Amino acid sequence: MVPVRVFFATDIHGSEICWRKFLNAAAFYKADMVILGGDVTGKVMVPITTHNGYWEVVFAGERRRIESKEELEKIQTQIRNRGSYPALMSPDELDHLSKEEGAVDERFGTEMLSSLDRWLDMADTKLGSGQVPCILNGGNDDFFEIDPVIESSPCVTFAEGKLLDLDGFHLVSMGWTNPTPWDTFREAPEEALAPKIDAIAELVPDMERTIFNFHAPPYGTGLDEAPALDATLRPIHGGAVMKPVGSKAVRDAIVRYQPMLSVHGHIHESRGIKKMGRTLAINPGSVYGDGVLQGALLELNAKKGKVTKYLLVNG
Amino acid sequence: MATEALGEERPALFLRKATGLVRGWSVRDSMIYACLATNFVTLGIYEFTFAGPAFPTGQLITAVIISGIWVSFLVIAYSGLIVTIPRAGGDYVWQTRILGSGLGFVMAATGWWFILWLWAPIYGNILSVQLFQPLWATLQWTWPAGGAVWFGTKNGIFVVTLITIALAGILVSIGMAGYAKIQRWCFIGGMIGFLVIVLLLLVNSHASFVSSFNLEAHKLFGINNAYASTNTAAAKLGTTSSLGFGPLGPTMLLVPAMMFFILWPNWGSTLYGEIRGASDFRRVFTGMFAGLWITVACTVVFLLLVAKTIGWGFYQNLNTLDYNLKPQFGIWPYPFMFAGWMVHNTAFQVALILVLSLWFFGWVGTLFLSSTRVIFAAAFDRVLPDRAAEVSEKRKVPFYSLVLMLLPAVGLAAIYSYSATFRTYTLDATLVIAVTYLFSAIAVVILPWRKPELWQASPASKIKVLGIPIVPVSGLITIGLLAFCLYEWLSNSLYFVNSRDSLYYMGAMYVLAIVLYIVARIVRSRQGIDLGLINKEIPVE
Repeated sequence: MVPVRVFFATDIHGSEICWRKFLNAAAFYKADMVILGGDVTGKVMVPITTHNGYWEVVFAGERRRIESKEELEKIQTQIRNRGSYPALMSPDELDHLSKEEGAVDERFGTEMLSSLDRWLDMADTKLGSGQVPCILNGGNDDFFEIDPVIESSPCVTFAEGKLLDLDGFHLVSMGWTNPTPWDTFREAPEEALAPKIDAIAELVPDMERTIFNFHAPPYGTGLDEAPALDATLRPIHGGAVMKPVGSKAVRDAIVRYQPMLSVHGHIHESRGIKKMGRTLAINPGSVYGDGVLQGALLELNAKKGKVTKYLLVNG
Repeated sequence: MATEALGEERPALFLRKATGLVRGWSVRDSMIYACLATNFVTLGIYEFTFAGPAFPTGQLITAVIISGIWVSFLVIAYSGLIVTIPRAGGDYVWQTRILGSGLGFVMAATGWWFILWLWAPIYGNILSVQLFQPLWATLQWTWPAGGAVWFGTKNGIFVVTLITIALAGILVSIGMAGYAKIQRWCFIGGMIGFLVIVLLLLVNSHASFVSSFNLEAHKLFGINNAYASTNTAAAKLGTTSSLGFGPLGPTMLLVPAMMFFILWPNWGSTLYGEIRGASDFRRVFTGMFAGLWITVACTVVFLLLVAKTIGWGFYQNLNTLDYNLKPQFGIWPYPFMFAGWMVHNTAFQVALILVLSLWFFGWVGTLFLSSTRVIFAAAFDRVLPDRAAEVSEKRKVPFYSLVLMLLPAVGLAAIYSYSATFRTYTLDATLVIAVTYLFSAIAVVILPWRKPELWQASPASKIKVLGIPIVPVSGLITIGLLAFCLYEWLSNSLYFVNSRDSLYYMGAMYVLAIVLYIVARIVRSRQGIDLGLINKEIPVE
């Protein structure tokens, strides 16, 4: 049986350059399938105000006056590449957004969904007839409205909460994480995560050929080290102190079920690899803001039920 | 979804509530680390014992100020790198990303891992001469045989270095969480100790110091009229020294020696958070810059007070005797101990030595921290065996990486302790890191061309003077500083760096790193893994 080459990346947070690279990763790394592990949507919306004959935007700490459409497109691309959403609006609309309760949320949602639509169109063009399986998952930072949008894509498979059969392997996916200080969408207490995992894991016929695709990394494994924060979310001691923030339910599930491979994200700073019994656990980390797509290149042998090769890459 | 608006009159951007949106850390914390790293007590006055006598016509204060100004450009260059690619991996990440995997590995392995093996005995020696020797001398303890002098013997240096290595190893194992708190208190305590020294030197006259020195030297070491006899002994060695502002030539030769303590304000600087703006550059820069200039200010104040109360010529005479391996009391001439002698109370003198040792204890924990990061990063990049990054399940101890750090350090400690010649290669420890910095400086200069999009989007590209971006220019000035230092280190034998064995030793480290990388490439290639893919950029279109 021929080994299967998988490219796994995660946490691109709206970075269009990373999405484009993700779509090109299969060809570049000669991968048989590509998986994006969650936190697809961005965190920042940058208003571009329209005026008579020009636009204005504050980007990277600098106020810019844009005189031409070409220049406008260029700055929009730069904003998208950094993982932000450029939002064209009049000064009045901007005032309205700033003052009206819920208006920003609504606009944010619109921008996220329209961006995702564009991304899925790109995937259609790039991946064509779906010869290369492309699997997407939610992450704790992704609002639930993206789920049906991805579900409807003809060439992208939405994996959240599912057991997928991938040509000799099983993929179990969960974008939920243990609670964070930011109170995000898909997070739940550890006691609630364990039954969620068990509910899908128990459907798996063969753990030896199974991949856990859980957004939260396992607790205390070095794949979950984030800067320790104070009550105001400020890193303490100059950011020198790291602490484990992963999920205990995820760790327990890996230890109990011992899948062949377990891929994670969520904690961008914690790029790493950890052997947990027979399970190889990986967090490729993320530096989406730099336009670099960090990922894991994995070669899986279905016959042996083993990860035969792995490499963390900065594409 | 909850959101936050950021901007002045009108919002410039909206953030929704999402993971990782942290606020910038306090500049004060960053300043403390920069100040502890450019440690003018442990490293600075230790270096003056060598630098003063080696370049007797050079002016220390001028050299410290010139060094401070020059290193300020390094601070700007590194601030630019930190806000552009804000990763904890530092030089390794920047160099692999901008210059390539192989070069990045060789520079990181030599500058942040192998050379730390040599820093271990240097740290040990500093602990020996700034804590054990003065403590034993003050308390007149005679065990082990020789008392305070024993800590300067081969066995003494080796034992204290082993203690230092064990201490640093334990701190790596327990993690930074607890130690970071200790560091802050060490800084505060150490500063209080220094203020006491300043006060003592300020309120006492030169005559009072001479009389105290003679009295305590007689009490502790049985030497009569020690002040005069120090000057007499040094005069036989033909020493001359004065404090002023010229000539510039010999003063410039002191600059490469000053790098031993002043080159490290960027040590451990990191930046977290994903929403970066112009304020981040200012914050990162301010922390390092303030730390650097507090060090410069403390050094200048100390040296001026030495000239006023201790006497400049006398201070240099003490250093000259030590430099010629004839220390006046058989132990390293610790100026803070001599300042403490102006209070004729043993308990006070002991307390002062202990409080000032906090400068060491707040600093020692970082000895192997960078090495751990490099070893882990190299293991994750499959250059080192996977085991190198393993952490024990129960105790969370990175056992294999500790072995890779501690065992060679113990070996180097033995060579350092038992070979007086090898001990003179102290500045090798600075040189190798300076080479690593040099490549980071090159990276910052070429960054706008190598990664134009990244550069354009970076707050660093917006920092301009007369329309010229100052970060790449500062990179060029930093290259100038490091090239000047490297030239002097490698061409002038007064730094004890360019001897054959020293060059072999440093060369061996580069060869080891290159061999490691090549072997890794070959082994992984045989396993069907192409390490060349690690930093190859995926096309966008």
